Order: sequence, then C-alpha cells, then structure tokens
Amino acid sequence: MDLNQKRCRLEVSPPRQASEKLTERLDRFAAKYNKAADAGYCVCITDNAMGNPTFQGHELIQELRLSVCSGQVMIHLNTFHTLSDLRWILDSCAELGIKEILVVSGDGSPRLPRLKPSEIACSSASVTSVELIAYIRRIYGNEFIIGAAFNQYEPEEHEIFKLDRKIEAGAEFMITQPMLKPDALVEKAMNTSGIPFIIEAWMSPNVKLLSDCIGCDIECREAFDPVECFESLRKAYPDNEFYLALLDFKTQFDEL
Amino acid sequence: MKIVVCIKQVPGVSSVKIDPETKRLIRDGIISVINPFDYYALEEALRLRELHGGTVTALSMGPQKAELALREAIALGTDSAVLLCDRRFAGSDTWATSYVLALAVEKLGDVDLVLCGRQAIDGDTAQVGPGIAAHMKDWPHAAGVSAINGFADGILSVKRMTDNGYDECLLKIPAILSVNKEINQPRVPRLKGWLRSEHVPIEIWDADQIGADTNLLGLNGSPTRVVRTAPPVSRDKKTRLFEGSEAESAAQLLHELRMISAI
Repeated sequence: MDLNQKRCRLEVSPPRQASEKLTERLDRFAAKYNKAADAGYCVCITDNAMGNPTFQGHELIQELRLSVCSGQVMIHLNTFHTLSDLRWILDSCAELGIKEILVVSGDGSPRLPRLKPSEIACSSASVTSVELIAYIRRIYGNEFIIGAAFNQYEPEEHEIFKLDRKIEAGAEFMITQPMLKPDALVEKAMNTSGIPFIIEAWMSPNVKLLSDCIGCDIECREAFDPVECFESLRKAYPDNEFYLALLDFKTQFDEL
Repeated sequence: MKIVVCIKQVPGVSSVKIDPETKRLIRDGIISVINPFDYYALEEALRLRELHGGTVTALSMGPQKAELALREAIALGTDSAVLLCDRRFAGSDTWATSYVLALAVEKLGDVDLVLCGRQAIDGDTAQVGPGIAAHMKDWPHAAGVSAINGFADGILSVKRMTDNGYDECLLKIPAILSVNKEINQPRVPRLKGWLRSEHVPIEIWDADQIGADTNLLGLNGSPTRVVRTAPPVSRDKKTRLFEGSEAESAAQLLHELRMISAI
C-alpha cells in the first residue's frame, strides 16, 4: 500500500447542506483543500459527520474542479446511504482516481437513510462498517485501498474482535480515534494486526468536544496544547502516519 | 400532473422551549429545518412527476427565513417554490394556515394534487392537510397515506393507514393527500441541486396577492386557543437493571450498547 509520503492526513469538513452563504462555504472548502494538497498532504473528507447532512467529497471535487493527485485524497464513507447513492459515490471516486476510502459505520440521523442488509445481500441484522467493507471488496475488487476505524475507547474484547472482522472483510489500514497520549490498546492492536495504523491527533484545544464525539470522558487536567500533543505523539510513534482532526488551517497549518 | 407540496420550516431540535406567556414555540436561536414528514411528501411528488410528467411546486407559509427550506425543496428537484410571507399571517392556527395555503393553491391554478406530510413535528396536530381539503370544498382528501398504488384516468389509488390497519381508497383528482413515513425513502439533495436552487427565483406572496380576507388570518382568524402546555407523558419501556454504583451501572450499560453496536 502506497501511503502518503508526508505522513500527515488533514481532515477537511465539507460544507453542511441547508446552510446560508453556500458559495462562501464552498470557496472556503476549496481553499483548505488546495492548501493541504499543494503542500503534499492527503486531504480527508468526512461523510455526514455527527449525522449532519453535508456534501459528499467527490461531488465537491467535481463541482469545484479540484485536482486529485495520487494518494492525496481520502474519502470517508459510512453506512447511512441508499444503495444508489453508495454506488454513485464509489463509482465517482473510481472515475476521479480517488483510491483511499475510510469506511466507518457512521453517525445517523432521521434524515439519513441507513443501508439495509438486503440491499447488499448480507445476512446480518444491520449494516456496519464490516459489511460495507465486504460489499465494496465484492463489487469493486481492488479498485480502492480500504481503511477502517479503530476505537481504542471501546471495550478491548469488542474492539479487537471488530478489528479482526474488519481485516477479514478487506480493510488494509486502520485509523485510531483521536489520541492525546500513547495508548496500550492501540499498541497491542498495531503489533498483532499486521496492517498499518494511522494515529489520529486531536487538533482542537477543546477536549470536552472530543469527549462528546467519542462518547466517554477524556481526562485532561492541564490546558491542552494540540500542537504540543501532536509532537509528543510523533515522538512516541515515529513510524506511523498521522491523521489530524479539526486542524485550524489559519493558526496551526504552518506549524506542521 | 401539476403537484403542489406544502412544507413547513420547523425547529431542528427535539427539545424545544415554549414561551409561558404566549404558549408559542420560542424559535429564536434555533436551527430551522424542513419538517421531517414533509420530505416524504416532496419525495412522493418527485416520483409521481418522474412517472407521469408535470411539475412540482413547493409551497410554504412562514417568515422570510423559510426561504431556505424552499431552496432545499428546489435542491431536491421541485420546479418552483412559493413563500407565503406576510405579518398578517403571524399567529395563525392550523385552520387559518389551511385557509392561506388553500388560497395559494387556487392562485397557482389547475393543480391536480396537493401533498402534505402527515403532521409537523412542532405542532403535531396533523390538521393542515385535512384543513386545506376543507377549504377547497369538494376536493377529496386521504390522510395517513402509505402508498400510491396507481394513477389512471384521473383516479388515484392509495393505501391508507387507519387505526385498524390499512385500506385502499380511490380519489378523483384534484385531491389532497397527507402522507406518512412508510410511503418512500426520501432522497438527500446533491450539490448540483443546491447550486441550481440558487438560480431559481422564489415567488413571495402576501395576503393581498392571494386575495385573503384579513379577518380570517392570524390570531383573528384562528379559533384555536392554547390554554395550557405540558411535556408529554413518557411511554412505558422494558427495563433492565444493572447492579453496582451509578458509575458501574452506566459503564455496564455503555458496554452492553457497544457490544450490540447500538451506539
């Protein structure tokens, strides 16, 4: 697997649907995308994060005529799509030359349809990232490099079990949940899984928000400096790539 | 087929606050969205147009900011949109609102079908669809429609959910349907649709433009009086008790939910 040489993936959130000043928001997205891509980073575009309907990464790239350099775009894909939309996303990614797909179960909302097991011919009670990875592998073969999420905040037995299932379904790399310090479960999983782990660093000073996102309390007694934290994680995991969530492009980008 | 879909912009949160004085919803500072049930009406209208041709117009009564809801309807694929906006509409109950919407449908002219969501999630009355029918005099109406089985020779065949199950009704167009969530799976708009919506003008009509009798608008035209509001009684659920302290019980619950991938 040819992962990005700069060893940093920068998350860029697409504009929300039903928001005012669409053109301005699209321009801001394009500026961030180009800034990250021009500097050689991999741009990672989320998929309806927190259940809020946003624009899909591939349609933004198409409509805004953004360039796709090899290995420099990763699209998130969750299970809250109709089958026809799912095919639309994947076919478009294939056409655009987007290779890396991060498959996650995702956050639903009443507005977002959840993929049904019958639609992708699987017998499970619901479609999770495991079933979605298997479906993409079945239909698209090796067209994509598929990643999945590793949640070190989940109970260990559950997460290791899911890790194995994700790899068996076709996941080729893992991205952790945001880390503030080295984590024993991540290290155990890295050592036993045999696939690359990308470490997610939390670039927002708001640790409470991280707790809200992952659904459990993250202790942080001192004032949190995200850049300092990222540097310490880089030292702790010198051989790993990093995924930077909620990076402030104005104040933090030049410090990378 | 000329179809009109009535949509409403509602608060986008489940925990809304009510002004104790006016007994009306406090809408300031709250994100507004299209009423969830109305997406099903919009989707059904778009599917009918795909099958039978014609046009779909989104219609909404509300403040200027309701224009965003209409833009979303255009992004989804409606051909046009009309906002009914006038200070004299403020305070209208479902009866006065139905009156305004019915006048707008009449003004649009030659409408074959009006679709509404089953109910709005803010008022929860489910009265506007039937109210429009009442104002349109001889137009037939079906509520709780969970499928449109067919349309031929000016007759719509619909499957309707009732208290005892389902029945099938035949309605001669022009007609009005209130649809429920079983009827389809609404699409999510695409960026192309949103970009298109920026270039489609939204017509704004006031009370004079639809020929409304101002005595039948707003609080004056509203027979409803809200005398008291209270939170709903919670429904009975199956319960399971976890042993241990609060923290331990919460951790067990979290663990169980995660083990079944419920969260």
